[in-house]
Amino acid sequence: MTDADLQAAYAAHKDVLFRFAWRMTGSPAAAEDLVHDSFIALLRNPAAFDRDRGALRSFLLGITRNLALKRARRERTFRDLDDDTAISPSLDIANRERAAIVAEAIALLPPLQRDVLILAEYEELTLDEICRAVDAELPAVKSRLHRARENLKRILRPLLETKGLPHGR
Amino acid sequence: MDDDKKLSELLKEWQLPSAPASLDVRVLGPRKPWWNLLFTGSIRIPVPVALALAATVIVMAVALLHRPPAPPAASVNLADFQPVKDMHVRVIRRSE
Repeated sequence: MTDADLQAAYAAHKDVLFRFAWRMTGSPAAAEDLVHDSFIALLRNPAAFDRDRGALRSFLLGITRNLALKRARRERTFRDLDDDTAISPSLDIANRERAAIVAEAIALLPPLQRDVLILAEYEELTLDEICRAVDAELPAVKSRLHRARENLKRILRPLLETKGLPHGR
Repeated sequence: MDDDKKLSELLKEWQLPSAPASLDVRVLGPRKPWWNLLFTGSIRIPVPVALALAATVIVMAVALLHRPPAPPAASVNLADFQPVKDMHVRVIRRSE
């Protein structure tokens, strides 16, 4: 991989990876670290990317996602990372800004629900692309996405029912 | 509006900024001044173009080496020089 190839890949995908990593970790500083490490991984082993298996974006998102999960395991921020059926706890939403409430609700999701939800809702990847990014079969991805949405509907019910309140303070 | 659509709209309220410039520096290295390119830059050109340029340079160099020497300038002898003895000045006007 030449410098020009790296620069082109970085320019095309840095924002997607950064936002995804931020939403996965809840921290912009951690997101910077993860995106940096993802591109270093690509530079060290460009042969790992197989064009026939999907777009570079899905490949890079997969690297970033794996690094985010590793980091979460190391920091023990989640009770059980492998439990993709976990039900998230509820959230106190009184007197809070809507965006902050949404961010916190997403942070409450188990990582295996959170990654597919972020890729589907924010990055608007297709189900096939999500499967490649998270290295899972289609039924598993659909199931995690469904559970993530159900969890969020439950956590965010007060906001969904009373649209507009509480609002952007 | 179904619940999924409502949820999607609510989720979109959490927007994030683009990657910061500090990340560019970490991944790509510090940006160098433009004139640095004059000393350390490189360009990629197709082999046929490179060969054509090399051939042109060689042909020009050979032509310069085999150029016949310039003839010596003819010497001028002013020994028999005679100034004009009788000068008639004639002014030509536009109306003539």
